[in-house]
Parts: sequence; structure tokens; C-alpha cells
Amino acid sequence: MAGATSADAAGEGFLSLRGLTKRYGGFAAVDDLSLDIGKGELVAFLGPSGCGKTTSLRMIAGLIEASAGRIAVDGRDLTHVPTYERDMGMVFQSYALFPHMSVAGNLAFGLEMRKLARAEIERRVREALALVHLEALGDRKPAQLSGGQQQRVALARALVIRPSILLLDEPLSNLDAKLRDDMRAEIRDIQTRLKATTIFVTHDQMEALTMCDRVAVMNRGRLEQLGTPEDLYERPASAFVATFVGRINRIEATAEGDVVRLGGEALRAARSAHGPVELMVRPHRIEMSAGAAAPPQAQDGPRNMLSGRVARSVFAGDLQHYEVEAAGRLLSVERSTVSHEPPLRPGEAVTLSWRVADTFMFERAS
Amino acid sequence: MSAGAPGARGPMLAVALLIPIFAVNALVFFWPTFNLFKMSFIRGEATGALTDETTLANWTGLFRDSFYSELLVSSVTISLVITALTLVLSYPIALYLHRARGLRRTVLLVLVISPLLTSAVVRTYGWIAILSDGGLVNSLLKALGLPAQRLIFNTQGVVLGLAEILMPYMILALLAGFGRLDARLEEAAATLGARPRQAFWRVVLPLSLPGVMLGCLLCFVLAVSSFITPKLLGGGRVFLLATEIYDQAIVTLNWPLAATLSMVVLIVFGLALALYARAARL
Ligand SMILES: Nc1ncnc2c1ncn2[C@@H]1O[C@H](COP(=O)(O)OP(=O)(O)OP(=O)(O)O)[C@@H](O)[C@H]1O
Ligand SMILES: [Mg+2]
Repeated sequence: MAGATSADAAGEGFLSLRGLTKRYGGFAAVDDLSLDIGKGELVAFLGPSGCGKTTSLRMIAGLIEASAGRIAVDGRDLTHVPTYERDMGMVFQSYALFPHMSVAGNLAFGLEMRKLARAEIERRVREALALVHLEALGDRKPAQLSGGQQQRVALARALVIRPSILLLDEPLSNLDAKLRDDMRAEIRDIQTRLKATTIFVTHDQMEALTMCDRVAVMNRGRLEQLGTPEDLYERPASAFVATFVGRINRIEATAEGDVVRLGGEALRAARSAHGPVELMVRPHRIEMSAGAAAPPQAQDGPRNMLSGRVARSVFAGDLQHYEVEAAGRLLSVERSTVSHEPPLRPGEAVTLSWRVADTFMFERAS
Repeated sequence: MSAGAPGARGPMLAVALLIPIFAVNALVFFWPTFNLFKMSFIRGEATGALTDETTLANWTGLFRDSFYSELLVSSVTISLVITALTLVLSYPIALYLHRARGLRRTVLLVLVISPLLTSAVVRTYGWIAILSDGGLVNSLLKALGLPAQRLIFNTQGVVLGLAEILMPYMILALLAGFGRLDARLEEAAATLGARPRQAFWRVVLPLSLPGVMLGCLLCFVLAVSSFITPKLLGGGRVFLLATEIYDQAIVTLNWPLAATLSMVVLIVFGLALALYARAARL
């Protein structure tokens, strides 16, 4: 993942954050954030509104000062280096294009600050415009562009200076769904081609999971988990990550070791605990068969089983959503509609089963 | 907009809403101005009495006597200097206010506006107390063993006093014109490698130009037409169009000449406004 940089030797990423903290009065907007990002990697910052994503990004860019902690790029400590010397391209959520300059003027600005020759500036501005497919619009003012075009200008302006780090703060939040899809692909494509080390802030989990190499899930100023999309989905590190990323069933119970008793039935989890816990299982991991008959034990390890009754059934295109009453609770179950099996009807008795390995267990504050 | 025919109702409503302001302007501005215009073509007696004769003498007199062209040039020059000084003094304050938020902004804004609550006459006397030969500044200089300075009852005193009096207007006009100036833009400039000074010249200043032009127009017009402060702080040595109009109308009772000079001032305003309109379109 990481290229050969001097930072690797120190066991740090290309971009390295250590204990980064921002306090406003007694309130910690970002609390002890430590992570390493490899060169050329695309990492998403994902989390609910107000969890500290923008604050983290602004500290990395040097737009606000950290209350504590350290920021380093390629082994060089940047914590007290002013923004204009950090060499980081940033796309602001509001774009922040210079309204009095043409599109080409906006793109040239960063190059002029770097005192490049006129001819070189013109060449790179032309290249950057081509990169975001805006060749024909170089003479327009930002106000004469659509939202998506402004977005692309903002991206091109950050890219044209070839920064060592690219910071994108919810760059797609103002776009419609179609344009958003296109822009995601375009950003990913450009980012890969230029091997730009990138942080992509979003609170859209699909965006984070589908475009990024790794995702940092944040909650209340803290890093909950940093991992690949698959890690977050299949191996969530906390109850917050499990519930924030993807849909999941939550079953409150009391654990004795790796066993949880639920009504008359015993369920097992992938780890053990004692006291109040939440068991979690994703709706599409649950297999459902009609009748009370137990399905044969599958080959892929031990399974949990519950018998229940279909309470509701909703058709949703590719999927059929069910709510199943089992052990006095309502569980969501999803079945693919591809198999042409007739959907189960409300009131039908069913047996639910899922792998113990797919059963997450997290301690619950009592 | 409500259902029905907004297209038809819109203009009607606009006209209806404009009627009061138009009526007020017609009554207290256009009508008196028209009368002044008429009066500038009437021959007056030396006693101040007006005759029924029309004449071009008031106008041709302006061109024949170099005193009036000098008056025009010095009025415009001093007003430009005052405007420039007011701008330089007000710009940093306005920029700071534009960036301030919350209680700090409110308090500072009130402080900026508060001089307007005192009459310009009172503030002018304040300047006399500070700048006169026995005033604060010269007492201080004397205490330090430095030679006393002539700070007042000359052009310098007028410029200083008027600049201070006009600052609240300039600051408010600047603030009104700073609409496009967004802190995010300065941050964007910084991420692109601009030092604060470069960001100021390339981003902040260009975007604040609408405010600068508005403030300059306002202060120039106010400076050209002010007469109390120049009279008091000029000590009778500084001659400006506005003070001359006052003298002709009140002291000499030569109303036709005062009317003619008023028309000249109006023409200066018209030119300033035209210049502003041209600049604002860029
Ligand atoms: N200048 C400030 N003073 C006090 N609190 C602040 C300040 N800036 C941000 N905060 C607080 O810090 C927390 C994190 O803010 P931040 O803007 O980083 O959130 P975010 O994760 O970007 O949210 P969103 O997804 O809504 O953009 C919020 O609770 C916010 O209220
Ligand atoms: Mg944010």
C-alpha cells in the first residue's frame, strides 16, 4: 500500500497523526486522534454530524491550531508549520472558489504562488481543466457554472498544485445522485492516476465504503475504527461501528461467557463476555426457512438457530425485507429475490439460522 | 409569490411601493433643486433683494473670476484627500468588524456608530480642544520640550477633523460592501500557498472593492458638502465650495450666486456618481 518513503523506516505512514486533539473550552471536538495513512492511499473520514471530521481536516491543513498532538508528513513534523507552507490541497465543502477570478485564474492561483513560469502555468492549467473535463469553460467566472462544474473546478484547483496531501471535505454533498456517482468515479480515477494521498470526509457510508481504500469511523471526536470497508462490515471494533456501518439487528441480553440465553434458546457469539451485552447480526446473514424443521448444519462452522413467525414482509426490488418475531423480539431478515422462491407470508412459522462467526457481541453499559 | 398573475401584479406593486419615496423626494429634493436652478439665472441686487430679470451673469462670473475655479479645484482635492485618509483609517477596522462574531461584533459595531449620536459640531469643538495651540497635543509636545505645531485652523485641521467625522459612514459602507468577502476564501488561498500578505492583495482587497467604492463615494459627497466643520476647523483660512455657498447665502445674501455654486456642487456629485457607476460595473 505505502510506497518507499523515509517515513516507512520510522514505522509511520506518509501522513501520521499522533494524539491530535482540539478542545473548545472543556469540550473536545477531536480527542486523541492517532492514525497513519500510506502514500497514495484514499482514506475516508466517516461519522455522524458533529463528530469532528471537519475539525480534524482543518487541523491537518493548519487552518486551526491543535490543542495537543502532532502532525507529520513523510517524517517531517508539520504541527507548527503555517498552512501556506504545508503543501496540502483542500476542497472545501462550500468550494470557496475565488468569485472575482475566472476558472483558469482560480486554477493558476496556486501555481502563481509557487512562482512558476507563465508558460508552465498555462500548460498545467490546461491539463487540469482537461482532467476534470472543463476545457471549454476556462474563461467563465465561478458564478456562471453549475454546482457540479464548480465542484470540479474546486477539485482541479486543489490538484493542479500537485500537493503531497489532498483533503476533501464532503466534496459531493451538494450534488444530485447521478452527478455524485460520476464525480466519485472521477475523483477515484484522478486520485489513483496522480497517486495523491487523500482524506475524504463524508457522512455517507456508501460513499466511504465504495470508493476508499480504508475508512476511519469517528464518533464524538474519537476514532472508533480504522480499517478496510470489509473490516468495518465484517469485523466491527465497537457497537458504534457495527450499527453505523450497514444495517444490523441488535439484541439486548446478558452474557455468560460466549453464551447468551434468550427466552428458552441459547445463542453463541464469536467472543465471550459477562454481564449486559448486545448481540448483533446483519439481516442478510440470517438464513430463513419455512416451517419448524431445523435446517441441516452447514459446512461453514457452528450456527445459531431461532424459531419464529413472519410479522411483516416488504418487497424492495432486489431484496425482500422481513420482520420476524422470534424469542419475543422483532428481527430484520433480508432475502434475495433472485431465486424466484415465493415470498413467505406474514404468520408463517420459520426457522432462522446464522453463523456464530457472524454474531457480534458488545458490552452494554447497564 | 401568491397564485394568480404575479407577472401582472409585480410591477404594479413595485410602482405602488415607490410612490411614497418618490413623493418625498419630489417635495424636498427635486422641487427645491429646480428652484435653485431657476434662481441661478436671476439677477440679484447688492442689497440681497431678488429682481425679476433673468441673466447668465452668475454663471459667466464663475468662469471669469479665477477665485471660483480655484475654489472648485481645492474643494475637490481636499475632499479626495479626506476620502483617502478616511478609507485608510477605516479599512482595517471594517475588516476586523467583518470577521468578528457574536458579542464582540455587536459591542464594536455600537462603538463605531456611537459618534453619530453626537452632533458634528460638538465633535468639531472636541478637535479644537485637542489640536489648538493650547490644546492637548501641543501641551504634550511642550511638556516633552518639543516645538509646538500648528495643527488647526488650516487645511490639515479640516482634513483631520472631517476624516474622523466621516469614519463611521465609511466603516458602515465598507461593511455593506464586504458581502463577497468570505473567510473560507482566505483559507483556500492559504492552502494554495498564499502568504497572508499575498492573500490580502489577491483575494481580500479585490473582493472588498465594492465596499471601498461605495464608501469613497459616500464620504466624498459628504466631504464636498460639509461646511460646519471646515468653517470651524479652517479658522476662516480654508475656502471650500460649501463654505462659500454658506457665506454667499447667509452673510452676503447673494442668493443667486449661492444657487449657482450649489448647481456646481450638484454637477460635481453627478460626475462622482457617474464615475462610481462605471467603476461598479467592472
Ligand atoms: N469554533 C468552535 N467552537 C466551539 N465548538 C466548535 C467549533 N467548531 C466546531 N465545534 C464543535 O466541534 C464538533 C465537531 O465539529 P466538526 O465541524 O468537526 O463536525 P463534523 O464532523 O465536520 O460534522 P458535519 O458532518 O456536520 O460537518 C461539533 O460538536 C461542533 O459543534
Ligand atoms: Mg463538517
